[in-house]
Amino acid sequence: MNKKKRTRRTLRTQRSSPALVLPLCVFFFVSLVPFASFVRGRAAVLTAAAAAGGTIRGRVELRRVASPVERRPNVSDLGAPLARDVSDRLRSVVYLEPAPRRAFEQSQPAHGVLDQRDERFVPHVLAITTGTSVDFPNSDRIYHNVFSLSKAARFDLGRYAVGHSKSVRFDQAGIVRVFCDIHSHMNAFILVFSHPFFAVTDEEGRYRIENVPPGTYSVVAWNEGLSSESRPVTVLDGGAAELDFTLR
Amino acid sequence: MRPWTARKAGIACTLALCGSVPARAQTLPSEPIAFADGRVTFGGDVSASIAPDDTGFFNYTDYQHSALRLLRIDFTGSVKAGDHLAVLGEVRSENVESPRPYALFLRIRPWTARQFDIQVGRVPPTFGAFARRTYAADNPLIGYPLAYQYLTSLRPDALPANANELLAMRGRGWLSNYSIGNPTPHSGLAIASAFRWDTGVQMHVASGAIEATASVTAGTISNPLFNDDNSGKQVAGRVVVHPIVGLVLGTSASRGPFVTSAASRSAVGEGHDGDFTQTAWGGDAEYSRGYYLLRFETIVSDWRVPAVRAPLIEGPLRATGTAIEGRYKIVPGLYVAARIDHLGFSEIQGTTSRLPWDAPVTRLEVGGGYSIQRNLVFKVSFQHNTREGGRVRTLNLPAAQIVFWF
Repeated sequence: MNKKKRTRRTLRTQRSSPALVLPLCVFFFVSLVPFASFVRGRAAVLTAAAAAGGTIRGRVELRRVASPVERRPNVSDLGAPLARDVSDRLRSVVYLEPAPRRAFEQSQPAHGVLDQRDERFVPHVLAITTGTSVDFPNSDRIYHNVFSLSKAARFDLGRYAVGHSKSVRFDQAGIVRVFCDIHSHMNAFILVFSHPFFAVTDEEGRYRIENVPPGTYSVVAWNEGLSSESRPVTVLDGGAAELDFTLR
Repeated sequence: MRPWTARKAGIACTLALCGSVPARAQTLPSEPIAFADGRVTFGGDVSASIAPDDTGFFNYTDYQHSALRLLRIDFTGSVKAGDHLAVLGEVRSENVESPRPYALFLRIRPWTARQFDIQVGRVPPTFGAFARRTYAADNPLIGYPLAYQYLTSLRPDALPANANELLAMRGRGWLSNYSIGNPTPHSGLAIASAFRWDTGVQMHVASGAIEATASVTAGTISNPLFNDDNSGKQVAGRVVVHPIVGLVLGTSASRGPFVTSAASRSAVGEGHDGDFTQTAWGGDAEYSRGYYLLRFETIVSDWRVPAVRAPLIEGPLRATGTAIEGRYKIVPGLYVAARIDHLGFSEIQGTTSRLPWDAPVTRLEVGGGYSIQRNLVFKVSFQHNTREGGRVRTLNLPAAQIVFWF
């Protein structure tokens, strides 16, 4: 009996709810209008500010491309190992140091991927901002064990099979060297920046850092653990500054 | 300067130079040294272990060396001549003694697209799983499994004339002596040697989840040789399957004469060189997932020795070594590990009693390791050894080790 009453009450409450919800919704949306216009205005200011920034572009020339890490000559192997690691060593990272103050105002959590494929990490170099989560899928039919003992991020993802993935969130800026505990020749770099003013070069060494607020900055080029001297550059509003580097 | 002093000084200088590299690079180098676009590659590892005196000779690898008190320096090299040929070698020095060639062989891959290789020279062991693991990086503890290290009282160059003589040497594998053959006291044989490699020809084929290896070599798994000391060759085979990712199952078998021609002739005269064989069978398994790794390995070895005088040594002398080990990573760079290990022996009848022909040994080793950097590991372990015979029956041994590889 009690149960029936309770059910009826519940149904009544449900039936009467649209009558209450409608005015509430109207009030809610009306009250949102000023807030939404404030947010839109703020976003417009930020976009305008970003769009009003300049560009730094140029090329990083590598005098000597870092050779891939060879396998350790394991005399215990009963047969020849798979082909050597041919990870891309041509890509460099160019970044501002220090970053413009405004860089720290906007922080958008992002996602990156560092695949494990053919006994190598792809890409070999990954540049991200702090707060980014990086997925480490295993695309090989053998186990891998991703780990890092770097100061900026210390983690060990254990062994997992093909089709599985684990993630790490990088909250501290710095250079993170990533290895596989099973295959000593597998290695990668993750460069974690506390600002968005960096770029990974293409295979030709070209880079482009956009939306840089006007001002004078120091710019650094990095390749395979080797950094260039920081070089000054002045960015004008809407302008493009050219800056080339030579490494090694 | 005496020659050995000069050698030690040379090695010390090399180590000092190696030590100066990190000062420039701020971290120890972790990658192999490569030349000629990767065709010439050098790697190496150094391990230094310290422990109290092993008064029971539980960890001795011969009469002079204990595995727990050892400075081991390994240099490995590979020279590739195209896609079909490579020469691989390893030179090892223990306790700063003169370096010895450990491995040197030619690897031929007739068809680059097929996983079929022929290796000729001083080749890696076909038998078992442990001996091919990289000691520095792949042994979670400091000690070795008993089957690969513990010295039984049996020798290839000296033979007991009867069962009483063999029983008198129970628990004295580190320095045994017999009346037939070489009269000088010397260390005995482990079931399988992890410290020397055999010389011969080896073939390896892999296809999907199955691998197979076969070899013909001069010595046996307990007594690998560079120069054959009897007229027979050992034949060994191994099959490995990977039924699922993370699981490896292997089985091995081998047979070959182990007694030297000189000892055999002293015991039973001419024409029996090939009669006194070591026949071994092994099974191993490895399973890993997430943060743990489990390994199991067992080896059964039968040695045939001549029956010379009463009381006769009946049948083959059997030894069975079984080890189970596990490793678990607690946090990045820190792991714990344990191994339980037993070595048992078949019984023989002496004049007064029937006993295992050597004293059974059990070892429990627990420990862990911390990676200071990825290729610099500090390990500690604690061993509890028990033996059903010999002068020292129980011995606890703590040990520490630092391992560096590149």
